[in-house]
Amino acid sequence: MEALILKDDLMAPEVVADPHTYYRKLRESERVHWNERWKGWVLTGYKEVVDVLRDPDHFSSDRMGYLENELTPQEREEIAPIFKVLKYWMVFRDPPSHTVLRMLLNKLFTPTAVERYRPMVRKIVQKALDKVVDRGKMEVVHDLAYDIPMSVVLELIGAPDLDREKIKEWSEAIGVFFFIKADEPRRREIACEGITSLVNYIEPLIVHRREHPGTDMISLLIAAEEAGQITYNDVLGTCVLLIFGGHETTMNLIANGTLALMQDSDQWTLLHKKPELIKKAVEELLRFDGSVKSTVRWAKEDVMVGDKLIKKGERLLVSLSGANRDPLQFTAPDKLDITRDPNLHVAFAHGIHVCLGASLARMEAEEAFAGMIKRISCPRLPEDAYLNYYPSVVHRALKNLPVTFHKL
Amino acid sequence: MGIKVTVNHNRCVGSRLCVGFLPDAFKLNGQGQSELITTGGVNAEEFVQTAGQCPQSAIKVEDAETGEVLFPPAELEM
Repeated sequence: MEALILKDDLMAPEVVADPHTYYRKLRESERVHWNERWKGWVLTGYKEVVDVLRDPDHFSSDRMGYLENELTPQEREEIAPIFKVLKYWMVFRDPPSHTVLRMLLNKLFTPTAVERYRPMVRKIVQKALDKVVDRGKMEVVHDLAYDIPMSVVLELIGAPDLDREKIKEWSEAIGVFFFIKADEPRRREIACEGITSLVNYIEPLIVHRREHPGTDMISLLIAAEEAGQITYNDVLGTCVLLIFGGHETTMNLIANGTLALMQDSDQWTLLHKKPELIKKAVEELLRFDGSVKSTVRWAKEDVMVGDKLIKKGERLLVSLSGANRDPLQFTAPDKLDITRDPNLHVAFAHGIHVCLGASLARMEAEEAFAGMIKRISCPRLPEDAYLNYYPSVVHRALKNLPVTFHKL
Repeated sequence: MGIKVTVNHNRCVGSRLCVGFLPDAFKLNGQGQSELITTGGVNAEEFVQTAGQCPQSAIKVEDAETGEVLFPPAELEM
């Protein structure tokens, strides 16, 4: 492992399979570490991570702006379709333009606002479990986790009938762009195709909603555009962002959380006996093995992080999973403890870019786990099962999670 | 009605939303977390609205005399 740290290979199969061990070793040796291969700083300590995330004055999220500077004019031209949309994603913007969009959209995503989707989520979970309980086995990602966030996000934008298979396919294509050093030479081309298809699919919906406004997210965005608060590019970019970002991460959270509870069956049993612990349990599952391992920032000027001087323009890989297992912040960080309180994890990041859909994801995960705990025994991995994660520095994403159980 | 407003620093992630919605009432402290400046000049309803925007439900609004919790409702408590 020490040799691996020296090689700085964040995509090594053993790091993808078990990022926590890698980040623990890295944190123990150097909390702010220059990764020569990635040409950026890797932060694995809680305090350093939180300091950076809560400080948008010194650390930028303008990913597309920094990327644009690194590319040749020809490369820029090749990925123009990506720039045209991603430039307007809230996640890649700094104040003040970030602030306008965030404050506008936030009202649809508050802890109170997302409760309106709970009955719908409960039904989806029930239906998914109805299909598998007698079989005694399921594949958690596709039989349960996938459908929940996708249904909710389509409901939220007011378009429940969109073609989910197509959206999934295009979202995966866009996702290829974000896999740092992914072993896919055509990754930019694939992402361009994905984003163009998704844009072509969504634009008629925006046109229609402009003529027939409702109470959905697209109508809210259009109203703000017409009031001069945001632009059409903001409307389109935000729709793409929500559809793309709205389903995969929550799906992964449900799969990772199920696996974590399975591997510590005492915790599964405790939750079964005390279902009132569900909110704390979800927080702990987010901390223990959340679906986003890291996020990236750029130094706007020379600035100290921990004991290291970060130079203007340098990038930082902010390890959320690293911070979430820092023993200086969490007692026995490698132990799953669904009663942990307080639990100020960074699974949704901190600061102005804290996940817009955090409350939605929490509610969806609560319903998924509460549903399972009630109706099935603690699942087990079949003997021939092999846990396979997508090769990504950013996402903690199981390709599938086959489990067996018995009906309660 | 007099109100009491508190920010729970075991929950606040520094989203700055409260500062955005009520800049005269909230500011950031040295750790990038929210802090109350004053409850003066802002009515209870505005505080409840703003507390509801917090993704962490970190802001508690109470009736100062009776101690009645105006926000968050019990089901949002973690």
